Amino acid sequence: MTDEPLLSIENLSVALPKGGDRQFAVENVSLAVRRNEIVCLVGESGSGKSITAHAVLRLLPPGLDVAAGAIRFKDTDLARADEGTMRALRGGPISMIFQEPLSALNPLTRVGQQIAEAIITHAGAKLSGSEVDARVIELIAAVGLPDPPALARSYPFQLSGGQRQRIMIAIAMANEPALLLADEPTTALDVTTQKQILALVRRLQAERGMGVLFITHDFGVVADIADRVVVMRNGCVVEQGAVDEVLRAPKNDYTKALIAAVPGGRPASMRGHALGTDPLLVARGLNKVFTSRQGVFRPVRRVPAVQDVALTLRPRETVAVVGESGSGKSTLARMIMRLIEPDTGAIDFDGVDFLKLKGVQLRAMRRKVQIVFQDPFAALDPRQKVGEAIARGPMTYGTPPVDAIAEAKRLLARVGLKESAYERYPHEFSGGQRQRICIARAIALKPLVLVADEAVSALDVSVQQHILELLAELREEMSLAMLFITHDLRVASEIADRIVVMRRGEIVEQGETQSVFGAPQHAYTRELLEAIPGRSLFGRPHEPSANLRFA
Amino acid sequence: MSVVAITRYGGRLSAYVLGAASGAVKIIGVILVIATFNFILVHAAPGDPAQVIAGQSGAADETLLRQIRSAYGLDQPYLVQLASSLKKTLTLDLGYSYRQQRTVLSLLLERLPATLLLTGTAFILSLVFGTALGTIAGTRAGKWSDTFFTIVSLLLYALPVFWLGLMLVLLFSVQLNWLPPFGYVTVGVEMTTWQRIADIAWHMVLPTLSLAAVYLAIYARLMRSSIIEVKQQDFIKTARAKGVTESRIVMHHLLRNAILPVITVAGMQAGGVVGGAVVVETVFAWPGLGRLIYDAVLQRDYPVMQGIFLIMSIVVIGLNLLTEAVYRMVDPRISVRSVT
Repeated sequence: MTDEPLLSIENLSVALPKGGDRQFAVENVSLAVRRNEIVCLVGESGSGKSITAHAVLRLLPPGLDVAAGAIRFKDTDLARADEGTMRALRGGPISMIFQEPLSALNPLTRVGQQIAEAIITHAGAKLSGSEVDARVIELIAAVGLPDPPALARSYPFQLSGGQRQRIMIAIAMANEPALLLADEPTTALDVTTQKQILALVRRLQAERGMGVLFITHDFGVVADIADRVVVMRNGCVVEQGAVDEVLRAPKNDYTKALIAAVPGGRPASMRGHALGTDPLLVARGLNKVFTSRQGVFRPVRRVPAVQDVALTLRPRETVAVVGESGSGKSTLARMIMRLIEPDTGAIDFDGVDFLKLKGVQLRAMRRKVQIVFQDPFAALDPRQKVGEAIARGPMTYGTPPVDAIAEAKRLLARVGLKESAYERYPHEFSGGQRQRICIARAIALKPLVLVADEAVSALDVSVQQHILELLAELREEMSLAMLFITHDLRVASEIADRIVVMRRGEIVEQGETQSVFGAPQHAYTRELLEAIPGRSLFGRPHEPSANLRFA
Repeated sequence: MSVVAITRYGGRLSAYVLGAASGAVKIIGVILVIATFNFILVHAAPGDPAQVIAGQSGAADETLLRQIRSAYGLDQPYLVQLASSLKKTLTLDLGYSYRQQRTVLSLLLERLPATLLLTGTAFILSLVFGTALGTIAGTRAGKWSDTFFTIVSLLLYALPVFWLGLMLVLLFSVQLNWLPPFGYVTVGVEMTTWQRIADIAWHMVLPTLSLAAVYLAIYARLMRSSIIEVKQQDFIKTARAKGVTESRIVMHHLLRNAILPVITVAGMQAGGVVGGAVVVETVFAWPGLGRLIYDAVLQRDYPVMQGIFLIMSIVVIGLNLLTEAVYRMVDPRISVRSVT
C-alpha cells in the first residue's frame, strides 16, 4: 500500500435543486482511496454515500451538480474535467458496479456483447474481433462463471442475480481499472451469494492492486471487506479510520448507534417470554405447484414452490421462516392466509378447518390473519388518507364508522405516530413511519395471526430495530402469533422463538432459535449461518463469543 | 448452466415453428368465427334472407330468389346452412354480388392491392417518423424541441382525418396545384411502367399523409414516454459508466428497449389503420376496399359486406401476427423463454 492516494475527494459539495429540505446532498466531504485498499463508505439511506460515488464518475442524477471541492484522480480534477476526458475515464481507469443486477444489464443484448462493448469502447480498433471475443471469455472465467463460451451467448434474464452481478463485475474489469466504485453491489443478493461476490471483489482487488470505494449500509459487510471505513450521515462525513478502530472503538455517537443497531448481536430481549400452550394454527402437508402455459402447443411449465410443509403457531409465538429467494417462504405465508390456495394439505386455524371455508365463513375468518408487506411505499394506496386505510378494514366488518375512526386514531398513537396523521397521505411519511401505518392497518382488525413478510427488510438498521421492538410489544399486548418471513438471519435471531429454514420449497430444519443457531443440524443451515456478513466481528448470533463487541 | 443454455438456443428455432403453427390455428379459428358472424348477419337482417342476399332492391324477381334459395340452401335446416357456408368460406367461395353482377372474390381481389398499398405505406411511415420524433422529443424532454414536437403531435392527434384530408387537398391541390386531389392514377394517358409507378406514388401522397398523421402522433407520444422511462433505467447508467458515447447509448440501448411498447400498440392499431382507410379512401376517391365498404353499406349489398368483413379480419390478424414476430425478433425474452 503506497501512501500516494489514487483518488482524493477534497471538500466536495453536491448541491440539491432549490426548494429541497436541505441545500446539499453531500457537504464538505473529504476522503481518499489508495492503491490496493478497500474503503467502505457506509451510512443509512439519504446519507449521500451513493451520490458521492456517482460524483466521482460525474454520473449524478439530473438536477444535481458538483457545487464545490475537488475530486483528484491521478493528475485530473474530475469535478472540472470535460465530458470527453470523463468518457475516457469511465469504464477505463475508473469503473463502477451497481446495486440492482436485475436491471443493470440491457435485457435485449447477450451478456458477451455487453462485456465486449466495454472493451471496444476503450480499445477501439486496436483489437481484432477474435481478440475481443477471447478477452470476453477470459473475463467471464475470471469472475468465476462456468462454461464462459455458453455464458457469453446468454441473455441477462437467463442468469441468476448472482451471475448477473458477476457479469457486471466482468464489465467493470474489462479495461483493468485502477479504481473500482461499487455501489451496494451485494444488497440485492441472497446471503450465500453475497458472500461469494464479496470474496470475488476481494480477490480481484488483491490480484490487480486496485483501489475500491465500496458503498454499503451493512456494517457486517464492512467488517468482512473493508480496510478503512468512512461513515456518512445527512451528507457529511462523521467519522473515518481503519476498520478495526471504527468498528471496535467508534468515537462518534452516530457510528456507535449504527453499530449497536446491527441486528443479531443484541441480547435477545424480544424472546424468552411465555407462550400459549395450545396451538393456534396447525398446517400439514401443504403443497403448491405453479403452472403456466404460454401457447396452445407449448408444454406446461410446472414450478414446485412449496412441498409437503408442516407448521405450527401458538399464541404469542414468533416463528421466523428463513430462506433465500425462491425458497418458497412467501408462498407458504400466502397459503397460510389463503391468498394462494394450496394444491393439497390442511390448515387447522382457531379450531376450524380453514381450507374448507367458503363465502361468508371464509370472510369472517380472514380478519383473523393479517399481513405487513416488505415495501411500505407500495403497500399503501397513495390516494387514500392513512387514517382511512386503517379504519376501512373494521368498517367493512361492521364496526360503526365513528368507532372505527376513533380506534384508528388510537392505533396511530399506539404505533408511535400523532393522531393528526389520520388526515394525511402516505407520501408525507418516511419509510419507517409508513411501515408503522401498515402495522396499524393490520392490527386494526384484531387478528390472531400477523404475517410479517420481509417487513423490516427495506428499512435502515436503526429504523429496523424500532419496528422490531414495536412488533414484539404488540405481540405481547394482543397475544398475537407472528409468522415472520425474512431472508436476514440476524433479524430472525432477534425476534423469533422458533426458526424454520426453507430451501427449494422444503423445510430443511426447524427448532428453537437457540438450538438452530447454536447447533445447526442441516448443512444448508450451517452454510446460511456462515454466510452472515461480519461474523468475524460480531460473532455468530447466540454464540457465547459474540460478546467481543465494543471493547 | 451451460447445457441448459445450449439447449435453450437449440430450442429457439422450434419456438418459431411453434409460433407459426399457433398463428395458423388462430387465423383459421378467427375465419370460422367471422364466417359464423356473417351467417348470423344475413339471417338477423330484417326480411327474407334471399331478399337480403339479392340486395334488398325490390328488383329481384321470384326466379332469382328461388335461385338464391337453392344456391345458399336456405330451405335446409340452420345447422346445415351454417356448415355449408363455413365450407364455402374456407374454399374462398365468398358468394355473388347481385348488385354488381360479379363474384365477391373478384371484387375484393381487384380492390385489395390499392388498400394494402395505402394502409401499408401509411402504417410504415407513421411508425418510422413517429418513433423518430418520439425519440428526439424523449431524449430532449423538457427542452423547446420536445415542447414543439409534443404540441405538433397533439395537434395531429386531435384533427379529424377527413378534415385534415380536405384541408390538404385545399392547400396542395386547389391553391398550390402541386398534387392531384383524388384518384389512384391519371386516367387516359399512355405510360411506361416507371411512369405509372411514379404517377401512383404522386397520387398517394395526400391520402397517405392524412391517414398517417394521426397514427404518427400516437406513436410519437408513446415513444416519447417510453424513451423517458427507459432513459432512467440502470442499464443506461451502466452503459454510461462504460464510457459509451451518448449517440451509441441512444441507438444501441435506448431505442431497442423503448420501441417494445410501440410495437405492441402498433399491432393493436393495425386494425384501426384499415378502418381509417374507409374515410380516407372516400375523401380521396381511392379505389380500395374502403370505398367498396362505403358503397356496399349504402346499397345494402350483404355478400360484399360479408366478404369485406372477412378479408379485413384476415388482414388485421395477419398484421397482428407480423407484429408478434417482430416483437419476437427484438425481444429475446419472448422466443427463448417460451421453450424453457
